[in-house]
Amino acid sequence: MNSIGENCNELKKQYDSCFLTWFSEKFLKGETNDEMCAPFFKVYQQCVKKAIQEHHIDLKVIEQDHLGTENENKVPPKS
Amino acid sequence: MKIWTSEHTFNHPWETVAQAAWRKYPNPMNPAVIGTDVLDRKVVDGVLHTHRLVSSKWGFPGWAQRILGNPSVCYASEHSQVDPGMRQMILKTTNLSFCRYIAVDETVSYAPHPQDSEKTLLKQEAVVTVQGIPLHNYVEDLLTNKISLNAGKGRQAIEWVISKFNTEVKDLTSSAVKSTDEIIAQTKKSLDDITETARKSMDDLSTAAKKSFDDIQNLKYVPPRTNQSLPEL
Repeated sequence: MNSIGENCNELKKQYDSCFLTWFSEKFLKGETNDEMCAPFFKVYQQCVKKAIQEHHIDLKVIEQDHLGTENENKVPPKS
Repeated sequence: MKIWTSEHTFNHPWETVAQAAWRKYPNPMNPAVIGTDVLDRKVVDGVLHTHRLVSSKWGFPGWAQRILGNPSVCYASEHSQVDPGMRQMILKTTNLSFCRYIAVDETVSYAPHPQDSEKTLLKQEAVVTVQGIPLHNYVEDLLTNKISLNAGKGRQAIEWVISKFNTEVKDLTSSAVKSTDEIIAQTKKSLDDITETARKSMDDLSTAAKKSFDDIQNLKYVPPRTNQSLPEL
């Protein structure tokens, strides 16, 4: 599967393939140490964070949990 | 607000389905999904937590584009947890595009079937809320139907992925036959639903139009003036 950053596709492919192997061979068998793919994840992350900025996707909106806080959108008052 | 739920049993153990879920995209059944990016991933107390950004291209009809605008790509945020001890995988997805008017919150869970632990039970729920635009009820119906249709395709996709790494030929053929029947039934149901919604909206529109026409007719009827009411000079 592609990344939103076209230039991240190769890095993503390498990371994904490492993750899928780790998930099947290690994690599902009870091995929770995820250091194995960490180097791939790090370079892929650097690339994708930049791509997200370039696509003007507001990461704050993604990361913040508004529900239950005072930032939660209210239903506008009926006029 | 519309709530849609669905259940499905996969004839595969949970471990197989969980692996397939990560390999679900790209697949020929959901061509709209064009990208998935991992934004954060960590193991906490033996549970894998992942935050992904899912990018997709939605084919909205022209009138909907005029209301909502037409972004070339829509984004959704997906938080998931995989607990291999409990054999449970949960994915929660929220749309990031069109947030002002549309909220689609979807929850998908994969767990061993309570009656047969060698099978996997998929539970799916979607809550669709549309507000602040005309015909919001109609748009909710439209989106709910689309989710229902896509859910069928999503299950197909999981089967498709499993068949790619499954060596048991017998298992493969039986699930393929079942899945094809299922998608035909799903498509038919969605088409019926959409036709019904469209018919309902058309009826509503004609009633409204007729009423307005009657109102205009009534306005037009003003008692005729006669010269008699004018004072004689």
